[in-house]
Amino acid sequence: MRPSQLLGILIISTLITPMISLVGRRIRRDRLLVSAFAISILSFALILSVTSLFSLIHEDAMLAAFTDHQFPIRPNLRADSLSIYMVTIFLGICLLVSLFSAEFIDRNRIAAYFSLILGMMTSMVGVLLSEDFFTLFIFWEAMCICSYTFTSFNKERREAVEAGYKYLIMSSAGAVTILFALSFLYGLTGTLNFRYLSESLNQAEDNLAVHLAILMLLVGFGLQAGVVPFHTWLPDALCAAPSEISALFSACMEKTGLFCLLKVFFVIFNSIYEDWRVPIAALSVLTMFVGNLSALIQDDLKRLFAYSTIANTGYVLVGVAIGTSKSLAGSLFHILNHAIVASLLFLCVGAFIRQARTRSLKELSGIRHRMPLTSFYLIIGVLSLATFPTLNIFWSELLIISAGWEAGMSWLSFLMIINLILSAAYSLRVIEGVAVKKTTYISRKASEAPLSMNIPMLALAITIVVIGLYPSPFQGLTETIVNRVFYSI
Amino acid sequence: MMPIIYYVSCSIILFFIGVYCLIAKRNMIRLLMGLEIMMNAANLNFIAFSTQVAEGAVHPLAHVFTILSISIGGCVIALGLVITIYAYRHYGSLDVRELRRLRR
Repeated sequence: MRPSQLLGILIISTLITPMISLVGRRIRRDRLLVSAFAISILSFALILSVTSLFSLIHEDAMLAAFTDHQFPIRPNLRADSLSIYMVTIFLGICLLVSLFSAEFIDRNRIAAYFSLILGMMTSMVGVLLSEDFFTLFIFWEAMCICSYTFTSFNKERREAVEAGYKYLIMSSAGAVTILFALSFLYGLTGTLNFRYLSESLNQAEDNLAVHLAILMLLVGFGLQAGVVPFHTWLPDALCAAPSEISALFSACMEKTGLFCLLKVFFVIFNSIYEDWRVPIAALSVLTMFVGNLSALIQDDLKRLFAYSTIANTGYVLVGVAIGTSKSLAGSLFHILNHAIVASLLFLCVGAFIRQARTRSLKELSGIRHRMPLTSFYLIIGVLSLATFPTLNIFWSELLIISAGWEAGMSWLSFLMIINLILSAAYSLRVIEGVAVKKTTYISRKASEAPLSMNIPMLALAITIVVIGLYPSPFQGLTETIVNRVFYSI
Repeated sequence: MMPIIYYVSCSIILFFIGVYCLIAKRNMIRLLMGLEIMMNAANLNFIAFSTQVAEGAVHPLAHVFTILSISIGGCVIALGLVITIYAYRHYGSLDVRELRRLRR
């Protein structure tokens, strides 16, 4: 598979989706047609990316399209094992989210919903596969536009409009900051291609403008990843969006920001990464503490999981700050694990909102008597968030902490362990509320979620347990990727 | 020909005018205008650098990029105005301080 083929399939199907809904409206089957089309396209793309991931791991090949050494300015796409790994995670989660929501989206909005999901997925895949800041920026903005629309999708609610506006202003300011940084990089080197940029910056002496550009890129990409001084949009947007979209935001969109940070620091600017280790470490500590401490006091389940998402961004950044190949493997592994766990948790909250019409932890107390399966999945996810051994997040956090110990940054590992205790505290609070407390008036009226919601949650919960019991193949995969892609460490 | 530093300093000043606008203004439409000013600063920077990169010629990459980024900026601003209209219908005001009325 060439990356241009994968991207082309996704782009064309995004554009076709509204037409399919028009056809479906004529024969009064638009829900079935549109959702079946979107799900089949996503599964096809997932199969493509899984096969190419296997081929990339086994033979040290690089799939390139439009690579032209004569023309350094030419925009191109490249699929290395890191980007295909992320593409596979994103497509898998997006497929489960579409399965979850296919039956229950408002019929008048189904075309908009699936076009936006496919559009968002296309642009995220584009960001991951691009080998050029030009291409990356355009897909980045397309992703942002889709996510602004999703945030204010329930436009009749004040909360959604408010959060959508706040998110639009903050995130566009971040994107413009990226654009400004790109203009300086372009002025310094005359190219925006990652490889040429990296080569010409290695030759240049220490320049203030380069550091300024890196600072701006850190602000812009960090804003999307939910790094702390710029995180304020995230809880609002995740609360206001429909729950399955919050799952997509938390599992995929933020990880795109983290991927871009990894790319900036370890592929493009790897020669001057050492100067930026301390600021990243400070940011990661701030992110962990703010995320976990704010999550402790929340009653709204979605807001609580949004803050825990911020904290998990902090854990990934700890791995980036340590910067050895082991810690980077831990970061990549944590990206996979947290994407699965976060999407499971938000899907569970989506089921609660649909069946009990509330997301307040107080009102949901004792819900396990009425919705045993959904509560069981929620408890698995929350236990994993609390670093329960034999569930997946435990292994990636162990990898990051031990890498910090070996690299002589034990203070960072120590601060991370304190944060794990904090996260265990709020996780236990959620479990107490859902499973131990007596039922309330609201939770007594709820009934179990339907089958089409249960299947995706079951799949995610099984994945959590499987990775928790057999972490070594997945861990080995991330270690291979780090050795292949970040060869310079 | 004027040296490039004039253009670059002009775009940096424009960028910070946009940042000031985002921080200080309270009207929802003015905030979008601030964003637009920041975008224009970056685009101006690209165009200014395009004359310097290749000797004796204008580099085409920056022009292509600028046209695309102007159109993307138009999309973002249009979406922002749509959300502003909905906010106006809900609150009857364009003041961003009104938006925080329901915040816990």
